Amino acid sequence: MRLPVAAGAATGAVAVALYPLFQTGTWFWASLGAILVVTAVGMLASRYTLPVWPVPLAQLAVFWLYLTAVFAGDTAWARVVPTKESAVELAELVATGFADIQKFAVPVPERPGITLLTCGGVGLIAILVDFCAARLRRSALAGLPLLSLFVVPASFIGDPLSWPTVVIAALGFLGLLAADGRERVTHWGRAVLVRRTPSFVAPRPAAETGTLRLSGKRVGFAAIVLAVLLPSMVPTLEPNPLFGFGVGNGNGRGGNTIGIPNAMVNLRGALSLPANSTVLTYTSSDSASRYLRLYSLDVFDGTEWTMSPPRGRPQDRTSEGPLPPAPGQGAGVPAAQATTRVTVSEEVRRLSFLPLPYPATQVRIEGDWRADVDTLMVFSTTDTAEGGTYEVVSNEPRPTAEALRTAGAAPQAISDKYLRLPEDLPDEIVRLASAVTDPDAGKYEQAIQLQEFFTSKGGFSYTLATQGHGGPALTDFLIRSRAGYCEQFAASMAVLARVLGIPARVSVGYTGGTNISGQWTVRTHDSHAWPELYFEGTGWLRFEPTPAGAAGQGSATVPIYTQPEVTTGGDDTPTANPSTGPTGAGVPSGSASNPRNPMLDRDFGGVPVAVEEGTPTAVKIGLGGVAVLLVVLIPALLRAGVLLRRRRVYSRQALRSGAAGEAGEATATALGSTGIAAVRSNRGQATVAAAWAELDDALCDYGVSRQPSESPRALARRLSEQHEFDAAAAASLARIAEAVERMLFARTLGETGSFREDVRRVRRALASTVSRGRRVRAVLLPPSMLLRIRAMGTRLLDGFDRLENIRFGRPARRNA
Amino acid sequence: MAVTHDVPPQLDDLVATAHRIREAIESVIEGKGDVVRLTLTVLLAEGHLLIEDVPGVGKTMLAKALARSIDCPVRRVQFTPDLLPSDITGVSAYNQQTREFEFKPGPVFANIVVGDEINRASPKTQSALLECMEEHQVTVDGTTYRLDAPFMVIATQNPIEMEGTYPLPEAQRDRFTARIAMGYPEPAAELEMLDVHGAASPIDKLAPVATTAEVRALIEAVRAVYVSQAIKKYAIDLVTATRHSPELRLGASPRSTLQLVRAARAHAALSGRDYVIPDDLQALCVPVLAHRLLPSVEAQGQRRLPEQVIADLVRRVPVPEAQAR
Repeated sequence: MRLPVAAGAATGAVAVALYPLFQTGTWFWASLGAILVVTAVGMLASRYTLPVWPVPLAQLAVFWLYLTAVFAGDTAWARVVPTKESAVELAELVATGFADIQKFAVPVPERPGITLLTCGGVGLIAILVDFCAARLRRSALAGLPLLSLFVVPASFIGDPLSWPTVVIAALGFLGLLAADGRERVTHWGRAVLVRRTPSFVAPRPAAETGTLRLSGKRVGFAAIVLAVLLPSMVPTLEPNPLFGFGVGNGNGRGGNTIGIPNAMVNLRGALSLPANSTVLTYTSSDSASRYLRLYSLDVFDGTEWTMSPPRGRPQDRTSEGPLPPAPGQGAGVPAAQATTRVTVSEEVRRLSFLPLPYPATQVRIEGDWRADVDTLMVFSTTDTAEGGTYEVVSNEPRPTAEALRTAGAAPQAISDKYLRLPEDLPDEIVRLASAVTDPDAGKYEQAIQLQEFFTSKGGFSYTLATQGHGGPALTDFLIRSRAGYCEQFAASMAVLARVLGIPARVSVGYTGGTNISGQWTVRTHDSHAWPELYFEGTGWLRFEPTPAGAAGQGSATVPIYTQPEVTTGGDDTPTANPSTGPTGAGVPSGSASNPRNPMLDRDFGGVPVAVEEGTPTAVKIGLGGVAVLLVVLIPALLRAGVLLRRRRVYSRQALRSGAAGEAGEATATALGSTGIAAVRSNRGQATVAAAWAELDDALCDYGVSRQPSESPRALARRLSEQHEFDAAAAASLARIAEAVERMLFARTLGETGSFREDVRRVRRALASTVSRGRRVRAVLLPPSMLLRIRAMGTRLLDGFDRLENIRFGRPARRNA
Repeated sequence: MAVTHDVPPQLDDLVATAHRIREAIESVIEGKGDVVRLTLTVLLAEGHLLIEDVPGVGKTMLAKALARSIDCPVRRVQFTPDLLPSDITGVSAYNQQTREFEFKPGPVFANIVVGDEINRASPKTQSALLECMEEHQVTVDGTTYRLDAPFMVIATQNPIEMEGTYPLPEAQRDRFTARIAMGYPEPAAELEMLDVHGAASPIDKLAPVATTAEVRALIEAVRAVYVSQAIKKYAIDLVTATRHSPELRLGASPRSTLQLVRAARAHAALSGRDYVIPDDLQALCVPVLAHRLLPSVEAQGQRRLPEQVIADLVRRVPVPEAQAR
């Protein structure tokens, strides 16, 4: 009877793991019902010891009735008995269920089809588990169907299962194993004992099985605790969020790191490559070319633009469906949706960021790719894209000039992050920003004026023989030389935009490339950088300050919304000019960059950062160390607390009759002489007990053994002789021992005083007999406290024992 | 001074008197302080002592010295196979003058009876003495005569000679509170013995150091010694352990529990304590329990003596304080 119940309980416990897959709890109750039905049949079968093979068939039949009643009751005969109609209805439900599964992402809403499938699956698992555990008596084997149920949520969510789920499921399985073990042990039969005398028939309790069970339980609990704790300590890409019930919250710590490339260095290297090799080719649903962005640089520190570490949350995997919504892009803005199919050349090495049009709404690619929620950069720490093909759906905003003109202020989060400029930004740049724009104009007009300043009015020229874009280089580019390439143009425009109060960032990637027989080809010389400016309602918009055409970045295009005077025209019409290559052939040799290196070779020149935002590993290790240290020191702290408390007690002076007078005559008269004696006796006992307990713990701490058959007096004698205590310490020890003796065995305790000095002396004498290591350990890891903690653990296990011994229904037959 | 307590005045007297008796005996028996102390313990516990050892180690001397040092009637019976029960208890003889039967008390009517080589007497005679020991009374021809307190039998037994002896059965050994072995003296003690005993027996010069009344008072004081519940339980634990030990065929009887606690009282009193501590019981376990036990066949095969088994048990049974933890 016990096994079918345990099997049902195990299935139920594991089924709890399905919880994150669903939005509602209907499935659970339906599945619970299925488990109950199966278990009930199993119990009956066990009760009447039916043969093995018909039982699962009977369970299947009854389970079928249950499903009919719950899901197709209307068409069934008497709501329960299946008819042809009910079978058809169930089949249809199953079909819709499969269709729904294809349609919905987890967590799925409540759909009868899905509920039926879940309920049916759980019920079948319950039958299998019951069959393995209760019929075949192979409980360990029952772990397989349970495991198959358990991996369902794991495979769907791909997220670490929360620890309570694991614990519940593991406990369920353990319970099944324990029940099986018990059943087995009870069948062992009684041990044949050779009695010494026929009259002596002391019934031996089943002590052996008790210890077996206890140790088994300990192993089980220890395994669960390890299984839960260990993964949270081992760093992984998918940190198991400790204490986060439910689906991973994404704020996990730890994680693999990838190198964030120094985008700008790569950019110039790519542009100045003599060989213009193909990076990728793409086709798009509307045949238009698109800028493909790799990185988004959002931090300007006065020297250069850098990327703050992207955050790849588990739920932002590309395989999870749509990417996070593009920041700031409202539904009211017209947008052009297009699907682009990109094939990355095999020559590219280690491409861990995907070149994507902005804003991408969905990416279909093999592997674990994740989107950064702020920038929509898609990257991976494990996979690379070279040689692969992927599809991306983009939803480019096509705002009207009017909409941009009337755009409201950016949200605080955006302006905080994307308007930040270094304190020491040269004044000339600030002045320049206001000089080239109309201070009365709106943000949009100012942005256009900025772009015009770079492309036409400012007299800038395109050359690759420049480097840097920050600090003096920035000033030099903007004020003096006015010669540079896309890096300087993009960086400067973004800085000026920030000065003007327009949120801005720099994107690095590729221009749309060249159209070769209907397919767009992007080469290394199409590497590009451009600014993106933020307009509320539209989101991030690309601007193009770099001169295009033969005298500039060959394949660069100016977005249509930045040309307010042009009212007609196509999309970003590619110029399709043949790539001119770098104009500055003489690359300064002092540069840290080696232009001969292919594209992404100098990846990882940047600082490696954790994928997940969080504290650095060293700090984490340090914090972990401190935490472990604190945990380790808990026994020491407890021990110190106990010592202090006891010392307060055993340091009390005796309540002498004379002293009692001082304490208060009133009390004395009120209590009477016997009352005083009682009070004195209680106090004295507490004093002696505290001193003795302290001595006992001190012995334990210093590793001095104590036989259970050793009386206090014998102990005192042995210690004094064995460790050659000096006379004072020996006398102190004897005093304590005698007081304990009197407390335990004499009629009255007699007068006791403070034992403070005695305990101190004995402790010191004991300490001097042991090694220094032992002394340190006695303070830091006091064995007495560890033993007590262990005893507490044992009591806890005993509690579990009692829980387990709760019997359902009628009391089990003894010796059955 | 952490602990101060007063020893009851009675106990002070007891310790002093006991000390006098011990000194007196030890002036005769050199280097056997433990044996003397145990003898006194049995006396104060109102028990009887069985001294078992090879001839010539001073068994009879000990008994006689104890008897001498207390100013009380002492009778000595040499047990032989032809000794009759009436030779111990006494007989009713017909007095022709009074024309009545008159009771002639036997040697058992004394405060201390020394039974030499008790295993030489026939079981019938042995049991006559044993009845007196248990009941403290003698019944002859339907008349019961009470024996004076204190009444102590010190029996000696020679374990070597087996020819023509009737070893005491278990039931009868159980009547003796304690059994001790004298053991050979230390060389130094033996040397001193040669010096002292060379000229004349010192026992002749032994003067009584205590009166019967004093001993009776001592016994009263011992009865008042406090035995806590924990100690009683400990005594039961110890005795129970002998009953469950696989090395013993026969465990200790409830009577032995009683006598163990009684002896422990005397032991505590002799140490100047008015309460019993586990150490008292531990010290007495072997002499009080060992002679009542029968080793199992296995233990015999391993040549394990009941004394060793008991010593092991004492080391295993936790003292009350340890149980409380």
